[in-house]
Amino acid sequence: MCGKLNMSVAVALAIASGVCAVTANAQNIEEKVQICAGCHGDDGKPIDKTIPAIWGQQQGYIYIQLRDYKRGDRRSDVMQPIASTMEREDMLAIAEYFSKKPWPDLGQPRAPKEIANRALRANSSIGCTGCHLDQFQGDGTVPRLAGMSRDYLTKTMADFRTRARGNNPGMSDLMLATAPEDAAALAEYLSGL
Amino acid sequence: MGKRAIFAAALAGAASLLMAPVFAQETKQETKKTSGQAMVSPMTQDRLNTADKNTNGFLLTNGNYAQTRFHPARQIGRDNVKNLRVAWIFQTDVKESLETSPIVIDGVMYVTTSFSHVYALDAKTGAEIWHYKHKMGPVTTYCCGPNNRGVQVLGDLVYLGTLDSKLVALNAKTGDLVWQSDIADPELGYSETMAPTVIKDKVLIGTNGGEYGIRGFVKAYDAKTGKLLWTFYTIPENSVGVWATKDATGRDMRRNIQAEKDQLAKTGDPYQRLGGGVWQNPAIDLATNRIYFVVGNPSPDLDGSNRPGDNLYTNSLVSLDLDTGKYVCHFQYIAHDVWDLDAASPPVLLDVKGKDGKVIPGVIHAGKTGHIYVHDRKDCSLIRFSEAMVAQENMWVLPTKEGARMLPGANGGVEWSPIATDPSQGLAYAINLHQPMTYHVENSPYPNGKLWLGGAFKVIPGETQSGNITAVDYNTGKIKWQVKTPEPMIGGILATAGGLVFTGEGNGKFAAYNSSNGKELWSFRAGAGVNAPPSTYMIDGKQYVVVGAGGNTQIDFRRGNNIIAFSLN
Repeated sequence: MCGKLNMSVAVALAIASGVCAVTANAQNIEEKVQICAGCHGDDGKPIDKTIPAIWGQQQGYIYIQLRDYKRGDRRSDVMQPIASTMEREDMLAIAEYFSKKPWPDLGQPRAPKEIANRALRANSSIGCTGCHLDQFQGDGTVPRLAGMSRDYLTKTMADFRTRARGNNPGMSDLMLATAPEDAAALAEYLSGL
Repeated sequence: MGKRAIFAAALAGAASLLMAPVFAQETKQETKKTSGQAMVSPMTQDRLNTADKNTNGFLLTNGNYAQTRFHPARQIGRDNVKNLRVAWIFQTDVKESLETSPIVIDGVMYVTTSFSHVYALDAKTGAEIWHYKHKMGPVTTYCCGPNNRGVQVLGDLVYLGTLDSKLVALNAKTGDLVWQSDIADPELGYSETMAPTVIKDKVLIGTNGGEYGIRGFVKAYDAKTGKLLWTFYTIPENSVGVWATKDATGRDMRRNIQAEKDQLAKTGDPYQRLGGGVWQNPAIDLATNRIYFVVGNPSPDLDGSNRPGDNLYTNSLVSLDLDTGKYVCHFQYIAHDVWDLDAASPPVLLDVKGKDGKVIPGVIHAGKTGHIYVHDRKDCSLIRFSEAMVAQENMWVLPTKEGARMLPGANGGVEWSPIATDPSQGLAYAINLHQPMTYHVENSPYPNGKLWLGGAFKVIPGETQSGNITAVDYNTGKIKWQVKTPEPMIGGILATAGGLVFTGEGNGKFAAYNSSNGKELWSFRAGAGVNAPPSTYMIDGKQYVVVGAGGNTQIDFRRGNNIIAFSLN
């Protein structure tokens, strides 16, 4: 229903019309998630490279992000109004729905060997896989990073560094301890997995 | 009733609802039965009490209640260990970090994997009897991998702690769920990776969460019903302590006591979010009815600015009364830790030489600092500490924004890995890491159950890492022998009456050493990191040694999914 529209237009339309907005009266999960497709894609491929893939993402992670948008711990002019209408059960159901979708192939190239090696050295240094696990698949409240959009990864790591992304100070601390060149290598490497 | 009391009562009411055990008919979990029932007789307390003399079984996570990891089987010895061969290999369904301590009862082996799976195996053949797959809740928050370090059995039940912070009781014969209790809220950073301890109709369990601003605890549950009996918070309401300026070895920790006192006046006692996880099993003194365990780091790990005081009882040995959970004594190794060089390896009860040379009941613990600490069991006081088993440099430089280099790195020394001992030789065997790191500090407010490190510890690229196996004379503190290994060591070690110690490495090597001099006598390549504690047992007159080879998340050693048993051919 929400199609591949311009992100802000799609969300504005969705919220204004009430058709796609998540409300307590929404009858089923398909209705509840209609709004999400406007930006995150109706085939799992986001309409913009700075928007994260949520198909196949970890349920606990999606739930915590929705919770944090509602609390204001994570800021977004787009996501906060949407999450503010949700109850915990809605968030968990939506998170479960997307976690069971297949991860989208964004068609990103494998990183060249020297970039991959730099990324793996950075991983050895700060221990990304200590939480994101082997092959960067994530688990529970920790997100999958493998195959995520490179632009989104780049932006997110930069936002952690500046604490513009404020809902995980532990990640901010780790990104502050990581050289920007290493973060760039990680984004390129992870996106190509 | 004051406001505080009303709030406390409401909280207690809510907590009692949260903690009410749920019986099997109300939940759906998956247990797959492969070959009928595990033919085990109900585990009695008497059998567990004498586990240290049981040559056939390996009844408790660390062998026995004293946690000596010394096993009386001697068929495999120094002369014939070279003939050790694979008896069987069991491949689990989970290829992820493997830290399980296999236990063996009546010829049945119980092992666990990452993500809280349990398997019952025929210990003679490796054939699967049943497999319990925990239905994980959507929210899990855990540090250092989705690990599980094992189960214990009492009566007809097998007890498991899960990543989503539940205590689960399974039918030992069938693997069917009997009951489960919520331990704490995983959304606030609580999780379980340790094996529970069963003792006198109770199940004891600590918690992870020192990286997430939890308030740590040890809890005791009724073994039959799952009802909560007592809770001991590892962080008391007065966590300030004595403003200690020196660590257990007498080195100055460079604390700014005045700044801490000013902070305390401003923000009060930080006890509610101060961390203090308990990673490993308590040792049980059956004679005095006391338990001994160690408490992990304060939250946030590297930033002490918002947590003034000694941060009791973080980084401490603690003793409680088993029946009531009441405090008996403690000893703090590092007050106001800002390096995560905490206490994780399970303590061991042994007779040791006191300061005056007389033999007394003691407790020993191997720290991430690289020292083995020897205590008087009566009052927890420190008798001696060993020579450092790893390089120590620049201790205790304070973490900086740019990063300050100090050794050991934040993984130790001795991590959660249990030590082994051989009382006949007066030796303790520990496996160590050497990982040069820089310590970085950042300040941020409590993040509601999210990762809260207060900075970062960074492995220094290009600097050589290594490990070692070290035998320490715990009556003198001197190192008896040491074997260097090419990679940092994490997992565990076992000593036997055959004069051997067994341990594994992240590169897949599993080896046996002469326990008197460290000479390598046998080795095997497992193909994945051997980062779990070995066990041994006997069936039909044949001794087996078993170990998990599944790698490790924390140090990122090669993953696998094998449980490998060895015997003489």
